[in-house]
Amino acid sequence: MQLPKDVCMGALRVTLTGNSEVWIENYRGILEYTGERILLQARTCQVCLEGSRLSIDYYTNEDMKISGNIVSLTYI
Amino acid sequence: MTEWLKRLRGYVKIIVWGFAPQRFINLCSNKGILLWNIEKQDDVYIMCVSLESFYRLRSIARKTKVRVVISERYGLPFFLPHLQRRKAFLAGLVLTVMFWIVSSMFVWDIQISGNCVITDDMIFQFLEQEGIQMGMRKSNLDIGELEKQIRRQFPQVTWTSGRLMGTRLLLELKENDAPIPEDTQGADAIIGRDLVAEYDGVITDMIVRSGIPQVTIGSQVAKGDLLVDGKVPIYAEDGTIREYRMVTADADIRMEHSGHFRIFLPADYILKKYTGREKTGYFMRLGDREWKQARKVSFLQYDSILNTHSMKILKMFGINGTFGKITYREYQKTEYLRDDSEAKEILQEKISDFLESLGEKGVQIISKDVKIETKCNGWVAHGELVVQEKVGTQVDTTQKED
Repeated sequence: MQLPKDVCMGALRVTLTGNSEVWIENYRGILEYTGERILLQARTCQVCLEGSRLSIDYYTNEDMKISGNIVSLTYI
Repeated sequence: MTEWLKRLRGYVKIIVWGFAPQRFINLCSNKGILLWNIEKQDDVYIMCVSLESFYRLRSIARKTKVRVVISERYGLPFFLPHLQRRKAFLAGLVLTVMFWIVSSMFVWDIQISGNCVITDDMIFQFLEQEGIQMGMRKSNLDIGELEKQIRRQFPQVTWTSGRLMGTRLLLELKENDAPIPEDTQGADAIIGRDLVAEYDGVITDMIVRSGIPQVTIGSQVAKGDLLVDGKVPIYAEDGTIREYRMVTADADIRMEHSGHFRIFLPADYILKKYTGREKTGYFMRLGDREWKQARKVSFLQYDSILNTHSMKILKMFGINGTFGKITYREYQKTEYLRDDSEAKEILQEKISDFLESLGEKGVQIISKDVKIETKCNGWVAHGELVVQEKVGTQVDTTQKED
């Protein structure tokens, strides 16, 4: 039986729509948040989103939505 | 939808700043507190949180050493206390909503469409007999039964459709367009009807459907002559007339006859010459009552031009209400004299209108001889026409034996 990796390993799931919206699931929390940079802690890595006018549309324990002008997404 | 629910339950926009605002956000999500519209502005974080979750933020704020301040409040829980202070407004609001709900339970307007022969009054009278009127409860209305009753009451109605649109009852009817056949076996059949000529002339065409023709194509007839007899003889075996059967004579008979016409045009005519002076006023009409802005009109002769607008809201309650502007426009009556060419032009137009109207009536013009003459006080157009037209007027059959 093949389960999706985000379910069995708790891997980060990132859904990008153009460069203006991004949905992120399976994260642990926010490490840093400014209008130009959002750093998130996942189970095995960190994700850094850079851009301008970044804002969090909603933030729950399950998922979050970030909107703004996204320039880069980096796994650290 | 979510926004509507959020507003119903109430939410606040908060400003967060201090030692670890990121940790504050993380802890909120861990505790199942939903945060939305999180924005970083300078050194502070602005975010929205529901009213019930806001009371759970105190411990998190203390733990993360941040300060939380409400910047804006949204939703019904914040709006209601304001209303409590305005008791009259609240009572008015409740009463309005109640009035609205109660009013919507009744029929406030009845509209009928599609009727042509049956008048609105006849239908309204019937509806009143059936207990259907403005102000009745919608629940007492059985539209299916009403449609059946209308069809039963008015046999010429072939189709009915009733529906409720809000508080308005719409009734659509369809009447039978086909002509009702003449009852030849009715009272007329006992008396019988003849066709007689209306003019002196010559028969040019003839199709008889019912009755005995008394003339043929080419016959010269005088006014009042019998064209088709409504008394049909029934012969016995020996060739003698046994009895007469009375019928309504029916035929298409065309006759060629001559006629005379005369059109008079006076030399002078009066025309209104507007002086350019105007006065305006306003008025309002409710049912039979009218209110007019009191204005003294000093003009000797004037036209009143009404520009009216109907109040559609009142129409829904069956009240005929209009309002508008009255313009009084002064004029002077000026007498003019026509010249010869102008008069001839007008007369030509009148003659062609007259001939056109004859054509519309099915009269075919064979020849015409028109003359325009000048009289002392005007012009006269007169002429002789030879026309072909349908003739035959129904009269009661003469009872005398032939």
